Amino acid sequence: MKIRIDNIEVEFFKDETILDCARRAGIEIPTLCHRDGVEHYASCMVCLVRVRGTNGLVPSCSALAQDGMDIDASGEEVVRMRHESVNLLLSEHRAECEAPCRIVCPAGYNIPLMNRLLGAQRFEEAVNLIRAETGGEELRCISCKAFCENACRRKKIDNPVSIRNMRIFLSLNLTDTADVTNSEPASAETVRGRFSSRTGRLDDSEQREWLKECPDNVTRHREITDFRSAAEEAVSCMHCDCRAAGDCRLRDLAGEFGLRDPGGKIANAPVTKKINRNAGLIFEHAKCIKCGLCVRICIDSQEEPAPTFINRGFVTIISEPLTGQFDDIIPSVARKCIEVCPTGALSHFEDNNTI
Amino acid sequence: MNEREEHTGTCNCDNNALSVGEIVSVVDSVVRQTGTEKDKVILILQEVQKRLNYIPSDALKHICRVTEITPGQISGVSTFYSQFRHIPSGRHTIKICAGTACHVKGSQLISEAFKRDLQITDERNASPDNLFSIEEVACLGCCTIAPVVQIDGKTYGHVRPTQVNEIVNDFLRTAAREPQHDDDKGGNDYDAEVRIGLGSCCVAGGSREILGRLLEIKEYYDLNIKVKPVGCVGVCNQTPLLEIVSPADENSRYTNVRKDQVEEILLKHIRPRSLNKRLRFRINNLADTFVSDDLVYSPVNIAADMRERTLNDFLSIQVHLATVNSGVMKPDSWEEYLLLDGFSALKTVLRSHDPASVVRIISDSGLRGRGGAGFPTGKKWGIVAAEEEKEKYVICNGDEGDPGAFMDRMLLESFPFRIIEGMLIAGYATGAEKGIFYIRAEYPLAVSRIRNALNICIEKGIVGQNILNTGFSFNIGIFEGAGAFVCGEETALIASLEGRRGTPNLRPPYPAAKGFRDKPTLVNNVETLALVPWIISNGADAFSSIGTEKSKGTKVFALAGKIARGGLIEVPMGTTIRDIVEKIGHGVAEGRSFKAVQIGGPSGGCIPESMADTPVDYEELARMGAMMGSGGMVVLDNTDCMVDMAKYFLDFTHKQSCGKCTFCRVGTKKMLDILARLTKGEADMSDIDELDKLCIDVKNGSLCGLGKTAPNPVITGLKYFREEYEAHARGLCPAKRCRDLIRYNITDKCTGCTKCFQECPVNAIAFRPYEKHEIDQELCTKCDNCRVVCPEDAIELVNLNDEDKDR
Repeated sequence: MKIRIDNIEVEFFKDETILDCARRAGIEIPTLCHRDGVEHYASCMVCLVRVRGTNGLVPSCSALAQDGMDIDASGEEVVRMRHESVNLLLSEHRAECEAPCRIVCPAGYNIPLMNRLLGAQRFEEAVNLIRAETGGEELRCISCKAFCENACRRKKIDNPVSIRNMRIFLSLNLTDTADVTNSEPASAETVRGRFSSRTGRLDDSEQREWLKECPDNVTRHREITDFRSAAEEAVSCMHCDCRAAGDCRLRDLAGEFGLRDPGGKIANAPVTKKINRNAGLIFEHAKCIKCGLCVRICIDSQEEPAPTFINRGFVTIISEPLTGQFDDIIPSVARKCIEVCPTGALSHFEDNNTI
Repeated sequence: MNEREEHTGTCNCDNNALSVGEIVSVVDSVVRQTGTEKDKVILILQEVQKRLNYIPSDALKHICRVTEITPGQISGVSTFYSQFRHIPSGRHTIKICAGTACHVKGSQLISEAFKRDLQITDERNASPDNLFSIEEVACLGCCTIAPVVQIDGKTYGHVRPTQVNEIVNDFLRTAAREPQHDDDKGGNDYDAEVRIGLGSCCVAGGSREILGRLLEIKEYYDLNIKVKPVGCVGVCNQTPLLEIVSPADENSRYTNVRKDQVEEILLKHIRPRSLNKRLRFRINNLADTFVSDDLVYSPVNIAADMRERTLNDFLSIQVHLATVNSGVMKPDSWEEYLLLDGFSALKTVLRSHDPASVVRIISDSGLRGRGGAGFPTGKKWGIVAAEEEKEKYVICNGDEGDPGAFMDRMLLESFPFRIIEGMLIAGYATGAEKGIFYIRAEYPLAVSRIRNALNICIEKGIVGQNILNTGFSFNIGIFEGAGAFVCGEETALIASLEGRRGTPNLRPPYPAAKGFRDKPTLVNNVETLALVPWIISNGADAFSSIGTEKSKGTKVFALAGKIARGGLIEVPMGTTIRDIVEKIGHGVAEGRSFKAVQIGGPSGGCIPESMADTPVDYEELARMGAMMGSGGMVVLDNTDCMVDMAKYFLDFTHKQSCGKCTFCRVGTKKMLDILARLTKGEADMSDIDELDKLCIDVKNGSLCGLGKTAPNPVITGLKYFREEYEAHARGLCPAKRCRDLIRYNITDKCTGCTKCFQECPVNAIAFRPYEKHEIDQELCTKCDNCRVVCPEDAIELVNLNDEDKDR
């Protein structure tokens, strides 16, 4: 049995999908909710192809190949619809890839990453980060007006994180013997040139969601004189960036498709963060694209609780069964779900955007 | 929480009276009845809710403990379907129909009035005394008596916003009564048979009271009559409807019968048996003549042919195939069904046809699926028949969810045996041995009629093992839908039968090859099955000689909305829309002008008056951008706004979307937002351009029929009424219906009678007897009460943004 995809003839076996055939022919079709080894679901519609003859569009991940089919997998209409599906997903994606501090930084330094390393007392890594970002040149913070602190969300709670002083302190700890890694220095152009999703307007209660990751009592330091004070100050960071910013299929596709973040985002729920410290899991509703991978990956396992879909339609979301929270999920199940999540909806405390 | 609130019933929290022990014992008892398999989840949830009023979280947990159902499954399923409540509701649920016909007749205002007068807020959906909760339901299927409100199964029609207290008090006063039965002593030597329609809407129109009165009079005068409740006649605009048939077969019909006219009507046709009873009548009659003038106007004195005319007009171009014998049969009578040729088609099939020839007959007839898609039925039967698998299923799709459609409800209520017969024939033809009736839970009477009919059929051996000794066995079960329009789609329907969330799957594979439990499954609409016995009995040619080239036979429509005479009708395919509206429906009511017809519900589209000569035909309607759909036909007049209608439909499809695929889930929401802003005057021309684009994308990119057809009302709206959309982009509502764009104004015709002041629920009109009244625009909520009660017609609607132009 044969089908044609983009004028390439492919033989197929019973129950194979158009996507299976395309891959065998070396034709790239983007996917988001599909994963090998997991039952197909046809949710994201990024893998749409056109069936010549009926002219209908079908999701290639689920459409069964049929003898004599002639498929258009790269024509203008097909590409436009794929872009549109990502565009629609972005329009309910009230989330941001990069923190405000990093976006306004003239050097594009990865401030939240530094804060996480410091907060976890991984001091050597924090110093190495500064080294890599400066690439042997002088730390630009020294002569900078600290736009980062002006943009810092913590400012609305009490005081901005003392970013500039932390970075200057760390740079003073750079020793010459340490080797300069082969990384390019950070640059604002790189950061701002990548596609980034923005959150749009948040109300006050939504802004306070980011406080959930901070301990209740933080000691604030304006002057940073040692690693202890740096670490103490670092935990007041609200981690506005997305843990999956370097590992997000949605962001990748948006970038690949050359899309701009749509304005006027629609809310299917308030922006929330659900945190399970035991499992190290963070769930952000606004980043979920309802692909169901986390549900499907756990279907055959007996370990409870596993995420399930709740509600219907536009307000569908995932959560643990019966509670609507993520409080009881065990670390191994959490790890599995986080790994399979194509966006930053499910992420781990220790995941980091190292780009 | 202060003491007053704590557990006195004003608190709606989960600590309501039920103890965990009670919950556990109810669950245990339910599970004992239903079984513990995973696919029983919906049935179990329905039963638990019936007994406990809602589903407490402790119930969910215990169900998982004592069955194979997992917590993930129960959470997913109990939150997907609208039927299930996780917080207790008031003791009585007031269902306010938000179907299309009710919407155009002002159901929004009704909803607001109920909430206001019973002090029910959105946060806490129960009245302060915890007696009532409000549920806005997609459609109760009583469209011709719109607007409709149903309280615990008691239906009220033609509701006005000012009637809230009247209705509530009536409900509390009249406890649910058992339907009255005539003790049918059998035999045929009656002087006459008196038939009264008792479909759901007839009951709402007061037919039960008429039935009660009939039985009273029968007993009082000892009349030798058979009082027979019959199923829906379809003439919903003329109910209560009485028909008197004498052995000489004279039929006399009386429409809009009032309780006080029953005595007279009966006694005109029937003589009391005994002398003193006859005397009784003469005396009473005489007395009445002296006392009232009513005699002159009594229906009895109106010449029969004049009475018949309205009925005849209504029935004139109709052809009854699916609804043959409407108004004649008692729905739950086995004997009558047999008498009127019931089950003769089945007997013919079992005794003289092999399955392949039955499939051939249906194919030759040209019958196409009546659920909306119009797939050739014979072809579908052929696919299932050709499958070699031994285990096959036939499912009757009675999940009629289109707001504004009630054909399937009527067919199930009035002709249950016929549908069963159709299913048996389908089972024989395709090689299936099991059938399932999938009926939406919002149709309790349909469910109970089918259940009773099935029990009788089993008793009589026409359903079960070795039917009529032919070796053919077929068993039928009933499943009640749990409230999800998307489950009308066959793969979603099957998902719900299997205890899963009702999300559709891509086809192929088609259910005909791999459906319920992965076995070949035939899914047919109620009306499709209802036509099968007729086709078998009368032949494929007889059926295909009716209709058009590609659309054979007849179609049942629910004619409702702004039509003078609405009802359930069955017409040959090819009849034009104009003929239906004018000849049957008698045109638009109240002297307004015919603007458009919405066909096919939220999946359909509007056909403007200028195109009303379009014949009813699958391809013709599709060519116009609309869709045959399941048969809902809502007539719109010049006071209906096409943008408002589109918004209404998108609101429906958006809420009913299963949420699986991107284009439907997000696309319908975006379209709804734009339409909502248009109705508020907050959108501009670029929004209309975006709407154009979204329509095409959602139509092409959605996974299933719901998403693919959701944009249709907008597409046809933009195609035929674009200037109306553009007017809204400029802040004007030409039909003067969008409340944010209009205001109410009292003109000089005002005589100061103060009626508007009395009816205004927010005191926006000051009391000024004999002076021209004025509406305070700051307070006015545009509830329409004042305009409706004004005896001088002195209240007009004015567009806010273009005062001079619209005078």
